[in-house]
Amino acid sequence: MLDRTFVGAMLLTAALCASPGTAQAFDDGTYPDWKGQWMRIGDARWDVSKPLGLGQEAPFTPEYQAKFEASLADQAAGGQGLNLMSRCFPPGMPRMMLGYNQFEFLIFPDVTYIVQEHFGELRRIYTDDRPWPQNVKSTFAGYSIGRWVDADDSGRYHALRIETRDIGGPRTFDHTGLPLHEDGQTIVKEYIHPDRDDPQVLSNEITTIDHALTRPWTVTRSYRLQSNAAWFEHPCESAYNQHLFIGGENYFLSADGRLMPAHKNQPAPDLRYFDQPR
Amino acid sequence: MRFRRSIGSAAKAAVLLATLTAAHAFDESKYPGWRGPWQQLAGSQNSAWDPSKPAGAGQQAPLTPEYRAIYEASLKNEAVGGLETDPTRRCVPAGVPRVMMAVLPMEVVITPVATYFMLEEFSTLRRVYTDGRKFPADIEPSYTGTSIGQWQDTTGSGRYDTLLIETRGIKGPHTYDASGIPFHKDGEAVVTEKVYADKANPDILHDEITTTDHALTRPWTVMRSYSRGGQQVMLDWSEYLCTEDVSRVQVGDQIYKLSPDGLLMPVRKGQKAPDLKYFK
Repeated sequence: MLDRTFVGAMLLTAALCASPGTAQAFDDGTYPDWKGQWMRIGDARWDVSKPLGLGQEAPFTPEYQAKFEASLADQAAGGQGLNLMSRCFPPGMPRMMLGYNQFEFLIFPDVTYIVQEHFGELRRIYTDDRPWPQNVKSTFAGYSIGRWVDADDSGRYHALRIETRDIGGPRTFDHTGLPLHEDGQTIVKEYIHPDRDDPQVLSNEITTIDHALTRPWTVTRSYRLQSNAAWFEHPCESAYNQHLFIGGENYFLSADGRLMPAHKNQPAPDLRYFDQPR
Repeated sequence: MRFRRSIGSAAKAAVLLATLTAAHAFDESKYPGWRGPWQQLAGSQNSAWDPSKPAGAGQQAPLTPEYRAIYEASLKNEAVGGLETDPTRRCVPAGVPRVMMAVLPMEVVITPVATYFMLEEFSTLRRVYTDGRKFPADIEPSYTGTSIGQWQDTTGSGRYDTLLIETRGIKGPHTYDASGIPFHKDGEAVVTEKVYADKANPDILHDEITTTDHALTRPWTVMRSYSRGGQQVMLDWSEYLCTEDVSRVQVGDQIYKLSPDGLLMPVRKGQKAPDLKYFK
């Protein structure tokens, strides 16, 4: 395993060799070649090894199990439950690592970016040995610190361990509304590494530690490298602009720009603030 | 002991770095150090596209008579509660070129095949391809468009110092700025940019942006500039969430307000309620 003192000295040496005002040379052969476009394998439920919804057997506390079941019931009745993506709230961590749309890695010595087309979400994973900052504003993507792993002492990193804190905002694990605690104390730990059998596949072991859970919850998500990649933007505006939330109810917009019910027998919106004909 | 170990490690590191550099390096030293974070230069923080001129009519946008009439009519319509001229108020992304105002921080990440402009505003990512590709025959329209760039070494120093960019396939609706100066609805705008650091101050970046559009009588060039204030690293990037500040909604061609209890309200006296014909 690469010694941290050695790695730090290497980075310092590289820094000293660089001229000011220009970019620094770095040896990208030390890092795995994760260039290209990656897409998730499997559908968008959180744990692909288990059925959707209650079948996920999420280790919720009784309080959060009740919240989840209420969310399922609302969705069955035509609502969105706890899933706020339809209101353009970003999925955030850990849900964004489902990989709703294509993404790519940009690897530098001090930071690895995960650039996602879905809602334009961006992760910065700092690998410059920085300490955890104090008083960072929480964000949906959180604050991530990573460490490259060279488990076989080959002189080349092959995996990335990440810890993410300071994750805020209303989030769920997937579209069924599996909720995370509102206290913003979620910690997510990841281990991203190549699949042993298929070099075109990356696996991400994602462990979530959260007060909505009775224990840490670990799932494995996988991503496949795409050939002939093309990039398309996926802003929320284009994905969800047919939803409208009025008075706590989700409505649709018809093709002719009128309000429509989202489920059978949904009452029309309350128009008490308009002058109505008598 | 720790000091001797560090010296030995540094020596070993230097040798390894030299070896590996020869074999595999992405030669970042050929490219300028533009990482950021950048934000629009102090003193140009008005909301106008051309920061050298007053906002609104003072911009003297070279609109055709047709689009000047459209612009003025939309301003009047907005004043009486009609559809707003600025689509970003409905959370439509600002798009190119407007997002290059960088009212929120921006990072520029350079790789051999593409340069990424990562803008906090609307979580916008611009991917500028610098791998020699040509524009495809059919471009899928997007708010950021499709951008192809070319690095230049204008001083013959052996290092690139200028990035030329051309962007096509920009999707609407979009405007130059908050006043709603419009683009032609044909979606054929072409934006060219020349991005370079200030010769006297590497912590200032300039973007000379020229828009060619059928709503204009001539190409319109403005200079946007950004500062990183000597700061190379930003510890605390934010997120831009349009959804958290939406108090107006659009139904058809009408804008309505949302009351504190989330119900629809008129934006002007006498505004009709939305048609509920699809409800029993």
